[in-house]
Amino acid sequence: MSRALEHILFSDLSPKAQAITRAVSVSVAAALFILALGIVYRFHAAGQLDVRLWGLFAWKTTWVFLANGLLGTLASAAAAAVIALVLGLVLLVGRLSSQRGVRWPAIAVIEFLRGVPTLLLIYVCFLALPSVGIKLSAYWMLTLPVGLSTAAVVAEMYRAGVLAVPRGQTDAARSLGLNRAQVFAHVVFPQALRYIVPALVAQLVIVVKDTTFGYVVTYGELMQNAKVLIANYRSLVPVYLVVAVLYCSVNYAISRASRRLGRPMH
Amino acid sequence: MGSVVRLLADHGPAFGEALLLTWKLTVMSFVAGFALGMVITVAQLLPLRPLRFVLTGYVEVFRNIPSVALLIFIVFALPDLNVLIDYEPSVILTLTLVGSAFTADYLRTGINTVDGGQVEAARSLGMRPMVVISSVVLPQALRSVVQPMTSLLIALMLSTSLASQVPLPGRELTALVAKIANDSAAGISAFVVAAAMYLISGLLIAWAGAALEKKVRILR
Repeated sequence: MSRALEHILFSDLSPKAQAITRAVSVSVAAALFILALGIVYRFHAAGQLDVRLWGLFAWKTTWVFLANGLLGTLASAAAAAVIALVLGLVLLVGRLSSQRGVRWPAIAVIEFLRGVPTLLLIYVCFLALPSVGIKLSAYWMLTLPVGLSTAAVVAEMYRAGVLAVPRGQTDAARSLGLNRAQVFAHVVFPQALRYIVPALVAQLVIVVKDTTFGYVVTYGELMQNAKVLIANYRSLVPVYLVVAVLYCSVNYAISRASRRLGRPMH
Repeated sequence: MGSVVRLLADHGPAFGEALLLTWKLTVMSFVAGFALGMVITVAQLLPLRPLRFVLTGYVEVFRNIPSVALLIFIVFALPDLNVLIDYEPSVILTLTLVGSAFTADYLRTGINTVDGGQVEAARSLGMRPMVVISSVVLPQALRSVVQPMTSLLIALMLSTSLASQVPLPGRELTALVAKIANDSAAGISAFVVAAAMYLISGLLIAWAGAALEKKVRILR
């Protein structure tokens, strides 16, 4: 790989410009440090560094409770991911069908699920479905909408993967006597999957984010458990900060994994 | 079908207002997020290591935090730090922060598509680094991010639904559906109407994005 752009941009600065850059660098660092101090002072001034507010993090029970919330988040995200992968495949097959009666409904379902906010789907499961006699558990009121809207996204990812498989592969497999279903299952789809694995893993980040809405249906995921902690200990800022750090770490780990998978294999 | 007509007769103006509020939140957070994201991208190019370090952290944090967790923090936790922001600006701020992080990420990818040789050429013609950025690098990068930015705009539009989580004075589409579903049995019809509005908005954005993409793309 060639040098990064920023290195070329600033590769041949004059000694004077270099000195200025260094000076600005130092003052920026100082400004950022003062900003950080200011934030810490703000916490202190508002009494948010009080031991009373942070004390609960010294107890094991707090962490067990938060870990349970995280498990709830992951349990919902995992099931939603499975729904998305399976239903996405169904939608893909429909989308690629040569029959209009199958293709158009599949397109409609994909566009609909992609074009509507997940939160709206959750509200439908939560508020509207019970009025027509369908009652879901809190777990499914969260997992089903998240899985459905992800399925549509996954279907489009699958399709991008399938379209990226060279045509010659299909032609060759067909001329060897495989039927269309066999070509898809044994030749095209496995290769398509390889292309899109990084994007699929990256989509997991969005799934985890969407499960945050679990508190809307009072499903015990991380956000909901955080709210319970806050209600019990009145420690708003610390709990939300810790939860934000937990979410960021989980999603950062997933993003990293996706980037790793995205690197070319040798 | 009849129930939808009845619903529109009862709540038609409310849906119109809700759609307008959804659009307003979308546009304001997208414009602010785009501008902020561009500033961040350029600042990350500068040879100032502490700034780069902090901005990389900024992008990672706001790319990975769930928007609703951020919104709840801004609305309910910041007052404990004596920072009071009204509900509507809070929603816009949340989406702006998230949008700016994604914009910075996409623009960086766009910048990476610009060949290093162009920068070398521009530099050896005597152009200053900032001029190279503003007249060689950024124009090409911007042209190459039309598609991801269109997706981001649609994603932001759908994310305005999280405004239903705070007591905004007006109601956007999702909050309106939640209220109608709570008060009456017309939840499903309300959902159908709101879904149609989201879908049409999304399709309009996608269509405009595709038209823009066709106009400005660089064929290599």
